[in-house]
Amino acid sequence: MKADTDTSARRPNQRPELAAIDDETMRGVLRKMHLIRKFEEAAEASYMRGLIHGTMHLSIGQEASAVGATLALMDEDYILSTHRGHGHCIAKGAEPARMFAEFFGKENGYCRGRGGSMHIADVDGGNLGANGIVGGGLPIAVGVGMSIKAQKLDRVAVVFFGDGASNEGAFHEALNMASIWKLPILFVCENNKYGMSMDIGRAMAVPNVADRAVAYAMPGVVVDGNDLPAVAAVAREAAERARAGGGPTLIECKTYRLRGHSKSDRNLYRTKEEIEEWRSRCPIRRLEAELTAHERFTPEALMTIEEAAQAEIDAALDFAKASPDPDPKDLTRDVYAD
Amino acid sequence: MSTLTEAAVESAVRELTYAEAIREALAIAMEADERVFLFGEDVGVYGGAFGVSGDLVHRFGTERVIDTPISELGIAGAAVGAAITGMKPVLEIQFSDFVTLAMEQIVNQAAKIRFMFGGKAKVPMVVRLPGGSGTGAAAQHSQSLEAWFAHVPGLKVIQPSSPHDAKGMLLSAIDDPNPVLIFEHKLLYKTKGHVPEGDYRVPIGKAAVRREGRDLTIVGSSIMAVRTAAAAQKLAEEGIDAEVIDLRSLRPIDFDTIAASVRKTHRLMVVYEGVKTMGIGAEISAMIAESDAFDFLDAPIVRLGGAEVPLPYNPVLEKAAVPQEEDILAAARRLARGDA
Amino acid sequence: MPVEVILPKVDMDMETGSIEAWKVAEGDAVKQGDILFEIGTNKAVMEVEAPASGIIRNLVPASGEPIAVGTPVAWIFQEGEEAGAAAAPSARAPSRSLTPGEVAQPGGPPSSSVTPPAPTPSPQGGGETVARTANGQPASAKSDGIRATPLARRTARLNGIAIDEVSGSGPRGRITEKDVLAHLAKAHPPAPAPVAARAPAEAPTEGELVPFGPVRRIIASRLSESMRVAPHFYMTAQMDMSALQALLKRVGPRIEKMTGVKPSLTVLLARVVAGILPRHPMLNASVEGDAARLHAAVNIGIAMERDGDLVVPVLRGAEGKTLAELTRDFRRLREAVVSRSIQPADMRGGTFTLSNLGMFGVDSFTAIINQPESAILAVGRTVDTPVGRHGEIVLRPMATFSLSSDHRIVDGVTAARFMADLREAIEYPEVLL
Repeated sequence: MKADTDTSARRPNQRPELAAIDDETMRGVLRKMHLIRKFEEAAEASYMRGLIHGTMHLSIGQEASAVGATLALMDEDYILSTHRGHGHCIAKGAEPARMFAEFFGKENGYCRGRGGSMHIADVDGGNLGANGIVGGGLPIAVGVGMSIKAQKLDRVAVVFFGDGASNEGAFHEALNMASIWKLPILFVCENNKYGMSMDIGRAMAVPNVADRAVAYAMPGVVVDGNDLPAVAAVAREAAERARAGGGPTLIECKTYRLRGHSKSDRNLYRTKEEIEEWRSRCPIRRLEAELTAHERFTPEALMTIEEAAQAEIDAALDFAKASPDPDPKDLTRDVYAD
Repeated sequence: MSTLTEAAVESAVRELTYAEAIREALAIAMEADERVFLFGEDVGVYGGAFGVSGDLVHRFGTERVIDTPISELGIAGAAVGAAITGMKPVLEIQFSDFVTLAMEQIVNQAAKIRFMFGGKAKVPMVVRLPGGSGTGAAAQHSQSLEAWFAHVPGLKVIQPSSPHDAKGMLLSAIDDPNPVLIFEHKLLYKTKGHVPEGDYRVPIGKAAVRREGRDLTIVGSSIMAVRTAAAAQKLAEEGIDAEVIDLRSLRPIDFDTIAASVRKTHRLMVVYEGVKTMGIGAEISAMIAESDAFDFLDAPIVRLGGAEVPLPYNPVLEKAAVPQEEDILAAARRLARGDA
Repeated sequence: MPVEVILPKVDMDMETGSIEAWKVAEGDAVKQGDILFEIGTNKAVMEVEAPASGIIRNLVPASGEPIAVGTPVAWIFQEGEEAGAAAAPSARAPSRSLTPGEVAQPGGPPSSSVTPPAPTPSPQGGGETVARTANGQPASAKSDGIRATPLARRTARLNGIAIDEVSGSGPRGRITEKDVLAHLAKAHPPAPAPVAARAPAEAPTEGELVPFGPVRRIIASRLSESMRVAPHFYMTAQMDMSALQALLKRVGPRIEKMTGVKPSLTVLLARVVAGILPRHPMLNASVEGDAARLHAAVNIGIAMERDGDLVVPVLRGAEGKTLAELTRDFRRLREAVVSRSIQPADMRGGTFTLSNLGMFGVDSFTAIINQPESAILAVGRTVDTPVGRHGEIVLRPMATFSLSSDHRIVDGVTAARFMADLREAIEYPEVLL
């Protein structure tokens, strides 16, 4: 924190959640949110040009929960991500260039082109992987929590999952075990309203995923998932509790994915009006507006951050395109460790 | 000097049950490596549903011998999570049948993480699975599901048949940087055999020739290796010289040992408890048929596997549903005589 | 599909039967249950009924020749079914396979019954390998419809035999390796067309023709196979038997007390050989493809005679047995041979064979290796012979030992070392202690 350049404390009438994030941190937050947005837009464009194989699940509109929930994490802390995981990956510090390389199936991608969008992992950076199975990361997070405890490490694990995953048995088994063993885990539900096409209101009898925390005797917090400072504040408190041995927390970020479930989604289950309404709550523009309103950043300064992010994404894309393909003779490499 | 000799003699004759041998392996591994821990349903003060963990909780404490809720999917996932972050979990699934509840974590996660992550992670976990019929536990507590897992690249699947191998293979499994599933036949837990003291390893992926013979090759897995060895003894008295191969490891499978034997005896029979179709026998038969050992077959391959039926409760029916020694004898006689 | 008519098993222990007479002819229409032919066994002549209704095709003519149980001897076709649709029956009848390009002639003589349905000639003159049969005739290796094991096919291929010339003795006429070897034994040297005892009058009939019994057939095929595949070489040495004679005299009565039977010189020799064989692994080995299988156990076959046939029961695990144990084993085997209750398994698994003809006054002889073993030791009689000892001529009980070895895996020096060791053990049996 550089006190002499930090203007956050001098601005009056800020809500404490916003004031808690100093300018330098905020620059990093904005950079990552833009990187996520532009990464996904570029990925989508590449996909439409036929440059990317398979499918992908875009989190456009959900950037605040990814960046907010990881803001309090240290490099050595862990995250476990989902099939909609590009945001989590960038938020935890992954390089967009190697992520694109993975998307393009290249040998120098994060997973040497073996995983693709749905399995991006950056184990060295603490990202224990996106997951193609809904709820797949939840029980794994329990083991990570056990591992942290057994090795007496000062670490926490954040496991992201969607509203749909909260109806999997894995969710309930994981929350129960994390609670009885007081494991240092943040269960971060990104409730984007739909499990593929099914409205969560039809898939769940309680109004909030967080209400389920009661059954596991852990705090359950509902937060506006498109409000970065709010998400960051809730996550920070949960991480501090976890590090202090207070056990896990269930955080529900109410958010919305502006794109379809995957690239083949025709949006038959929701209205254009609903999508437009959520577009107006874009987490990036909302944060920028609040920052300019409190005169913490000028519009020009914000534009500079966004342009830098765009340049970084453009360079990343070029890196990926120029990267080598895997050699088919290495097909079965890494099925087993020696 | 003399004490050493006495100790050596005692060690040479020392007999343990299969369950004790596994417990001893666990204790050795936990003493040698703090990262090793045992967890599962009722493995603590109860001592495990089959008494395998026994007193380990008293020796290593509740932080290393951990009772879990009845959450098979959850605990399987927990093993994965602990394994990728530096621990060496040993998970007991109380009855191997319950692994159906944990398939997702074992098949989609444990087996694939290393590959999906481009070799950037290791999943050094062991899952212990008591399986098999013969205890009257009926259809949901008696299955032999090992072939399912042997179908999955990224997993290793082993089936030791003796106390000696159970200890040595479990120690190898705990040391292995990959997920290893060890299927322990419930009827074997009380069988006794020579088990050396201390730490030793029996390699994963290597079959054992239990008896050399000329007339036919019988490959048996798990308890069927035991029944096959007993049958071979009787066959020898009848003048049929059977070579007995204890498969021990399904993935990786020791094809070379089987093929070499078939080239010698020209006749092959595979005995396994899992349901006959699409099982171990199919794989071994197909591998022989695809290899140059095919040209050395002088009779059709015989598979003796479990009946196409859920395991029945009634003891007579239960026995009828899986190969017994008499079945092995009869089939071997037919094959050796050329009537198969 | 046409229905096959097989030579059925109509008696216990029946391995072969002969067609004495057909009651129907090629092309006849038959009804299920009609009598097709008479089958001869060593006990009686029985009638065989049609298993289905239809037209008789491809029947194997009656010859009185033994045919293996389960061999198809005719096919019953349905009305309108193409004759070529059936697999040709394999038969003992003189066979001639089609050369590539030759067209099967429907209605041709049934003796050319081994006709695969019109092979498609390829530009190269046949898609399949054309092997030469033993008598030099090209034979189509095409073998559709023939039941044969992979090993039988491989053995046939390596020996240039068309598999469809071989009669199968297995279930449903399946040809196994044994059948191919038997066929091979018959074909080497090229035999004239088989002539049965009830052959037509114009066949040469000087002297009595005794058909081989089943055991003799196996002997014939095994021994000719051995001479064919294994390059034999021989090594002979005279050895002083006085120490063994003394030993027999000393321990004989004790062993007789223990086992009820006196140990014979043959058993004692088996014991001596078993004692040294572990040091000579190549002589306790068998050839497997391109490799030598070295046996851990020493199983000594003892050549015996029974009603004119050669049988070789096996003393198992001889390397670990005492003379008394071997004597007991030997007695059991001999009794089983004499009472004809010997089981095939008692004659399997040998790793080395001992043949002692000394009791017939034979001085020396050479033996044919009992495949797949690598050596056989032939023992002549023990006779007092003048020999030089320390510059003097003395009479010593000497016997001649002849070792036949398979040169594929045993070299001269290897065999010589064995013989030196054998002499040491025979002349100083104490070294075995």
